[in-house]
Amino acid sequence: MSTATSPLTEEKQHHGSHAHDLVGPFSWVATVDHKRIGILYLVTALFFFCVGGLEALVIRLQLARPNSTLVSAETFNQLFTMHGTTMIFLVVMPTLVGFGNYLVPLMIGARDMAFPRLNAMSYWLLPFGGFLLHFSVMAGGAPAGGWFAYAPLTETPFSSTQGTDYWVLALLVLGVGSVATAINFIATILTLRAPGMTMGRVPLFVWMTFVTSILVVLALPVLNASIVLLLVDRQLDAHVFLASGGGNAVLWQHFFWTFGHPEVYILALPAFGMISEIIPVFSRKPIYGHAFIAASTVAIAVLSFGVWAHHMFAVGLGHTADIFFAGGSMLIAIPTGVKIFNWIATMWGGSIRFTTAMLFATAFLVEFVIGGLSGITFAAAPIDWQVTDTYYVVAHFHYVAFGGTAFALLGGIYYWFPKMSGRCLSERLGKANFWLMVLGFNMTFFVQHFLGILGMPRRVFTYPDLPYWGVLNMVSTVGACLMGLAALLLVANLVFSLKRGRVAGDNPWDAWTLEWATTSPPPHDNFAEVPQVNGRRPLWDLAHAGAASEKHETDAKPKPERTFDKGAVAVWSFIASEAGFFVILIIAYVFFNFGTAGDAAGPSAATVLDVKKTGAFTACLFASSGTLWLSERSLHKKDHAAAFRWLVVTIALGGVFIVGQGSEYLGLFERGIGVSTNLFATTFFTLTGFHGLHVTVGLFALMITLGLMLPGDFRKRSPSLLRSVGLYWHFVDVVWLVVFSIVYLRIR
Amino acid sequence: MDSWGLLTSCWRLDPLALAVTVAAAIAYLVPGRRLGVSLLPLVLALLLFVLALASPIGQLADGYLFSAHMLQHLLLVLIVPPLALLGVGPALRGRAPGRIGRLLLRPIVAWGLGVGAMWLWHEQTLCNAASQSAVVHRVQELSLLVMGTAFWWPILAPREESRLPPLAGVAYLFTACVACTLLGVLITFSPVEVCSVFAHPVDRLGVMPLVRDGWGLTVEKDQQVGGLLMWVPACLVYGVGILGVLGRLFHEHTGPTESDRGEVPS
Repeated sequence: MSTATSPLTEEKQHHGSHAHDLVGPFSWVATVDHKRIGILYLVTALFFFCVGGLEALVIRLQLARPNSTLVSAETFNQLFTMHGTTMIFLVVMPTLVGFGNYLVPLMIGARDMAFPRLNAMSYWLLPFGGFLLHFSVMAGGAPAGGWFAYAPLTETPFSSTQGTDYWVLALLVLGVGSVATAINFIATILTLRAPGMTMGRVPLFVWMTFVTSILVVLALPVLNASIVLLLVDRQLDAHVFLASGGGNAVLWQHFFWTFGHPEVYILALPAFGMISEIIPVFSRKPIYGHAFIAASTVAIAVLSFGVWAHHMFAVGLGHTADIFFAGGSMLIAIPTGVKIFNWIATMWGGSIRFTTAMLFATAFLVEFVIGGLSGITFAAAPIDWQVTDTYYVVAHFHYVAFGGTAFALLGGIYYWFPKMSGRCLSERLGKANFWLMVLGFNMTFFVQHFLGILGMPRRVFTYPDLPYWGVLNMVSTVGACLMGLAALLLVANLVFSLKRGRVAGDNPWDAWTLEWATTSPPPHDNFAEVPQVNGRRPLWDLAHAGAASEKHETDAKPKPERTFDKGAVAVWSFIASEAGFFVILIIAYVFFNFGTAGDAAGPSAATVLDVKKTGAFTACLFASSGTLWLSERSLHKKDHAAAFRWLVVTIALGGVFIVGQGSEYLGLFERGIGVSTNLFATTFFTLTGFHGLHVTVGLFALMITLGLMLPGDFRKRSPSLLRSVGLYWHFVDVVWLVVFSIVYLRIR
Repeated sequence: MDSWGLLTSCWRLDPLALAVTVAAAIAYLVPGRRLGVSLLPLVLALLLFVLALASPIGQLADGYLFSAHMLQHLLLVLIVPPLALLGVGPALRGRAPGRIGRLLLRPIVAWGLGVGAMWLWHEQTLCNAASQSAVVHRVQELSLLVMGTAFWWPILAPREESRLPPLAGVAYLFTACVACTLLGVLITFSPVEVCSVFAHPVDRLGVMPLVRDGWGLTVEKDQQVGGLLMWVPACLVYGVGILGVLGRLFHEHTGPTESDRGEVPS
């Protein structure tokens, strides 16, 4: 029965029990409430948006006139690097995560995220990462290698300040935070949905956040592994990406874009989700082709891991590869193109209300089409060769990232601010904000298409006074200033409306998703009762109960979906993410040791590794997987003493492995073989070293489990803990199986 | 010989292809039509099967071109089996696989077979053996079909209850795509030949001048095309599979409700 409501079934989280009692600013520091954390993300992102925006303005002011000397070339390099890095990692990703944090639990009818404390940690890594990145300014100079940090430009011989090191550290910190959040989203969406909210019924924003989270889990570790290798180059004098020592700079590009292309979707998909929430509500029609939007997004997200090489046409991959990637890229552009028609078809024939949110969503469609079309032109390799690294590229990705994602985010702010604050943003200020933004944005970036075709290279701090260059650049700079004004209006609107805005009520837009079923702002536990969900638009069903109820009773009973344990989901996601990390390290090893790329001189696996000795330690490690399994089985049979014994044996066997690896390292060091000796040594030590680190972490986790096994209450709720830790331990063993086969047995 | 000559004259009467096609035709005419076999996917599967074995692709795959071998390989693992399953599926709905079948069709085994089909036959010794011995080549073709069928079973099994749930199906296909991409990348960028046979083909048909000079396919380029075939188009096939699986999630699994169809009166 559609009118029936059911209480939340999941057990009450023990979140916020301390923070709830606190008042004042400290309660925000201690909070683990997903709504407060979401707002923290959004406010932090707004702060960095101002920082990154000011950097952009200085860039534009420098470029306003030919031969300008407002900033030096060095400063200019730092400015565009910081602008790009800030906007991507400190503004867009945190904003998407912030909205996700606030909205996903509300939209699926949950009380909080699956792991509220992990959630708080993820957030606090954001300001920490931002601080690390900006601390570089005080440590001798900001990074200056561009947001994709192409080697060898970012290697010590060409970037002697510590900027790049801080860039690497900041991105590592932010990457860990992003992966943790993504795991949290996956676990939340898979395990905490309200009764009746099947995966086929979750709002598209939730679906997109889910897909994005999977991308984050798989793509960010690739970046982490690559920047770790860069850091090894810079700090330990290795040559992975430095041709002078036998390394390969193109490898960096492959690694970076393996992350970079999925990253494009990480930045775009949640925005698609927001658009898919806003447009139907203000068109008073359900979304057209829900299934197509949701399914094609997954397919594209998957394929995004296979086509990164289209970012590298100018590198010289050869015609054969160019043809394949050009074709592949054009093909996967089609589903995204079709989505535009889904949104247009949703608006078609609807009673459209052009609120500010809807205006931004509509503008998104226009600007995103322009960015998409210029994107298609890049898929043709010959055009790419002509315009790559010109302002044409700058125009393209700003149309996608700003005209696309940022416009959707602005729409999202106007749409969900009433829910978050209880008050609507001023529509009058909003409309001014919108028109100024659209005008400024198109002035800034549309002319850059022409500048690019005229041949103006990006990332060069000034330009000669060639025909049209000066005037087009001036138009662009004036546009950028208008965008700055628009941003000020937005901030003014936020501040003003927070105090004086029209009171919103629960559901100011007459929307259909669950977040509008509760008060604005929602109470600490979100819902007193969650309505029974019978379709994709639960509030519409509720309002039209009479019309729909008969239908529901007959055939709308969905098959019961499989339920997941949130701990298992989290560990599996974590394992997937770790696997991505190791795949990159393994590829680096294979690349430098199995082909002709490495240097023949110096130590190699064949000459310095003792397979028999390591084989013995390896046997211990594999045996430990067996004993752990015995421990789990004993626990399952309620034989706690045996479980305890087997766990002790497991830890001992793991310890033997670590000691063995340590003695192997010592032996190598004594023979004068260190990380920087040659590429074999670099890739060997990074690969086995990171594996050793994981074994060590696993040992600590096992010891903590062992410690928890001592007191009695563990017996009531521990099997899932041992199972989770056990999964991780088995995974570490599997990784070693691969590493041992490749490095020691040299199986090709 | 020019390209047109190659395309028209290099067909051969492949006994396996012939046997399978005839058997399929008889099977369709006698009990199949009654059992609800769907014709279109089945015919497509057969056509592509014949194309893979009897056409110039099959000829060139036989020791001439690594890329042609890869095309044949992908057709036999990724394209023919799912089409055949779609076609024959309705007829098999009433039957349950036997014990060995059940073992082979467990998702983890099936995944291993599907991905193994990619990796195993590109191990240097096996790859060379398949191009040098007719018997091994037959074994290769048959095993690819079997492994391909096993791989697609958890996605397209005739009976819905033996299919993977949609999200698991997506993960199943995605991980296969990643494994395939890795191998493709490895082959594309590998400086050593994956199968040394293709570096020095025995020119039975007299087409090597056309291939090397006319098409400009050097040994290195040939291998690159092979690797790229596995890298890009293969993943597109998995992508299509994912689309299909999710289509099921959204349409069959939940069923649209009134509110998804109706407009809101405003």
